[in-house]
Amino acid sequence: MKKYVTRRVFMGLLTIFVVFTINFIIIRLAPGDPISTIMGKDNDDPILRTALEEKYGFDKPMITQYAIYLKNALTGDLGISIIYNKEVMAMITERIVPTLLLVLTAAILAVIIGTLMGMYAAKNEGSKIDVIFSGAAYIFNSMPAFWLGLILIIIFSSVLGLLPSYGMINTRDAHTGFDYILDVIVHMVLPVCTLVLVEIPIYFRIAKSSILQVTNEDFIVTLRATGMSERKIFNKYILRNAILPTITIFGISLAYLITGVALIETVFAWPGTGSLMLTAINQRDYPTLMGIYLIMSISVAVVMVLVDIVYATFDPRIRF
Amino acid sequence: MNQLLEIKDFSVTYVNKSKKVYAVKNVNLKINKGDSLGIVGESGSGKSTLAMALLRLLPEKNTQITGKANFIGKDLVQLNQKELKNIRWNELAVVFQKSMNALSPVHRIGPQIEDIYRVHKPNASKEEIFSRITYLLRLVNLSERVYTLYPHELSGGMLQRVSIAISLVHNPKLLIMDEATTALDVVTQGQILDEIVKMEQTLDVTRIMITHDISVVAASCNKIAVMYAGEFMEIGYVKDVLKNPKHPYTRGLLSSFPSLKGEKLKLTGISGYLPNLSVKQEGCIFAPRCQQATEKCKQEKPLGVEMNENTVWCHLYSSGGELINEDQKPVYKD
Amino acid sequence: MLSVKKNTYATFKVINGDIQLKLGVFGILFLLLVGILSPILAPLDPYHYGQDILNGLGVNGHLLGTNHLGQDVFSMIIYGVRTSLMVAVISALISAVLGILIGGIAGYFGGKLDLIVSECINAFMMVPTFFLILLVIALFDNSITNVMIVIGLTTWPSNAKLIRAQALSLRERTFVKSAITMGESKTQILFKYIIPNGIFPVLANTTIGMSNAILTEAGLSFLGLGDPNVISWGQMIFMGKQYITSAWWIATFAGVAIVLTVTVFYLLGDGLNHVLNPKHSNGKGGE
Repeated sequence: MKKYVTRRVFMGLLTIFVVFTINFIIIRLAPGDPISTIMGKDNDDPILRTALEEKYGFDKPMITQYAIYLKNALTGDLGISIIYNKEVMAMITERIVPTLLLVLTAAILAVIIGTLMGMYAAKNEGSKIDVIFSGAAYIFNSMPAFWLGLILIIIFSSVLGLLPSYGMINTRDAHTGFDYILDVIVHMVLPVCTLVLVEIPIYFRIAKSSILQVTNEDFIVTLRATGMSERKIFNKYILRNAILPTITIFGISLAYLITGVALIETVFAWPGTGSLMLTAINQRDYPTLMGIYLIMSISVAVVMVLVDIVYATFDPRIRF
Repeated sequence: MNQLLEIKDFSVTYVNKSKKVYAVKNVNLKINKGDSLGIVGESGSGKSTLAMALLRLLPEKNTQITGKANFIGKDLVQLNQKELKNIRWNELAVVFQKSMNALSPVHRIGPQIEDIYRVHKPNASKEEIFSRITYLLRLVNLSERVYTLYPHELSGGMLQRVSIAISLVHNPKLLIMDEATTALDVVTQGQILDEIVKMEQTLDVTRIMITHDISVVAASCNKIAVMYAGEFMEIGYVKDVLKNPKHPYTRGLLSSFPSLKGEKLKLTGISGYLPNLSVKQEGCIFAPRCQQATEKCKQEKPLGVEMNENTVWCHLYSSGGELINEDQKPVYKD
Repeated sequence: MLSVKKNTYATFKVINGDIQLKLGVFGILFLLLVGILSPILAPLDPYHYGQDILNGLGVNGHLLGTNHLGQDVFSMIIYGVRTSLMVAVISALISAVLGILIGGIAGYFGGKLDLIVSECINAFMMVPTFFLILLVIALFDNSITNVMIVIGLTTWPSNAKLIRAQALSLRERTFVKSAITMGESKTQILFKYIIPNGIFPVLANTTIGMSNAILTEAGLSFLGLGDPNVISWGQMIFMGKQYITSAWWIATFAGVAIVLTVTVFYLLGDGLNHVLNPKHSNGKGGE
């Protein structure tokens, strides 16, 4: 177990290192000199230029530059935003909470609903509901999440007028206490629904196929032969074995969700890192963009490592 | 001797949208208490299907089972789920081929056996279960340590022993072993067969052994049933059938195995392939591959001919058991 | 001649036997047809800025209405097929070639090289690709060529992983070993035996990669990082977003087009997976 965890952690660190390196290389490969990239193309303040040259050691050899870059990044110094003129790190930490709120809510709902649907479809394989679920899984799997978000806005905000289509709180009519929480929840409904709808197919498919596969395993046939009730076989033995792929997929899809949520946030003007990213793109605020990329990559790496460790506690076969 | 299982006109048919496959056709078989019967045949001959059908483990959606299977006074074919549950593992247990997959890989072995024990004795105390399980583990030459291990921590042979131990938890009257030793190496297989034979004497179980390996039958059974394309060709005592096989198919099957006594006979196979089981065939099912087949064989199904407690389904023999035509004396193909 | 006929028939039978593959193949043929015939099928030039601004469905002969610049939405959707197919095919091709080379070399040569390469593949697979693509496109130029290249350059690891596993098992097979004994060089073996025989899982994965490429391009366009000189469905949604309440048709139909196209590629990928799966090989998958 210890060896396995060390290996996974090492893997995660390697990934973060790869991400840092890619980031470093990209700035230097980009058209124009790296300083203009960092301080903004329209800015030509000579004092800032010398200060940045000094800070990042642009006059020194590549290796030294790389060392400086790594040291800065590891201490949380991701540079200064061109447009906001604020520490990138501080801006991201401010915005990460609303993003995580969306991601985690959606991920947990999707894994529960998708797995339950998969279980039902596997138990009733070939039934009408199974066919409907499987067909819908194809369609929703192929849907760009941002488009689905727009469609939901058309239906539930424009036409039906049931739900707010943008923001996290009602700015015109500020709430406090419990009303505040309620307000946030109301605003969360559409973005979370969008994310859940595009994530369900993944869990649905994996749950259905792995349950079907486990059901045909020899040990299930043996348990049937012992006269054990179908309910107990399913609840204790089939589920416990079939849940393993879902755990793996949960990690992968959570990573995917962390990136996918950026697009959804722009659709619903959700005040998270995704919206920050959109402004950064439009204003070509490269330090902010790179900072977001780094933080997202690190989050994904951490999630993957955690999920792998959780997986190991569920599957005794990899505890060595 | 009293009779434990009597199968009469037993058929199993797989049904799907486009066709029917007649996997087992009108077979008859009697097993007495204390017997150990080996059912042999090529792969696809229906021997596993027969076992799975007796255990009622085939999916009901696409299988039809007809006939009778009287097992200690009850007809296995007609039992409802509740009656079936009472019989399963209490009276009728099974050990499957792939011992590697016979246990859930993510549960410890001990608790899995506990669950199986509790199926029929839900109120058993922890100590009672533990002592029973450790007794059984010792019986199959495993240490108590196995109780807390996961399946992947054991070797194939050890897992097979666990499977056998599990099959014995409720002292079943009849034990079906479906290719239970096939996946093991010869040495382990030999050891386990010896252990099984010894166990039987202490535990008083009757056993059906399904295998394609005649040497397994020779080493561990007193009776043998030769199966081909869903029908029995010959049933009898091992000592008679192996020494003096009556049916041309049995002869062919024996000559495709090396001799047990080390005589250097030429090994021969049986030419041709298993017939298409989705077509009902008139006459003897083996006739198309049989070198001694006559016109009669192709038109008429042979009836069982009894010869001192052995039965053979072949037109070569008269109802008294003599060869009808002396020219038709069994020929070895060498 | 007979064998050709027989082969065609066999292929047809395989396609017919798997519902997903059937739908996928016909879907792709349909899309290709629309792509080739778009000048004929489109009633108007999609690049033409007309007088009819924000017309609704069917108004002034515009089947699916017009956008804020007076472009005909139906014609744009027809032309958008070309962009999507181009992005799908070229980026998937880059990704497949890179993946096959890197994975094939790592798996076949093995040893230290394989260890390093496979750890790198694993690390790459954990990197959130979409952000990387986005960053590169934002920094460089957002031309469609760059988009395709970057998608290709960032998605090869899954292909590499698949072919590596294949190479690992193939190099132990008799026909590869006998080729070694016959004195064929390592490069020859790699290209003559390992890659051709291990390519099938990559094929199925590549079709899935194509659908992802289409979705990625759409996502980039939606963030305003698409190529302004090319008509793409993602960009139509991006532009339609501002008019979502007044002119819902701009974004809606472009999205439907994406969903259908991506579904077709997914179906094809799943179908290929079923058919090429060695478990129920139809004499095509194995050697």
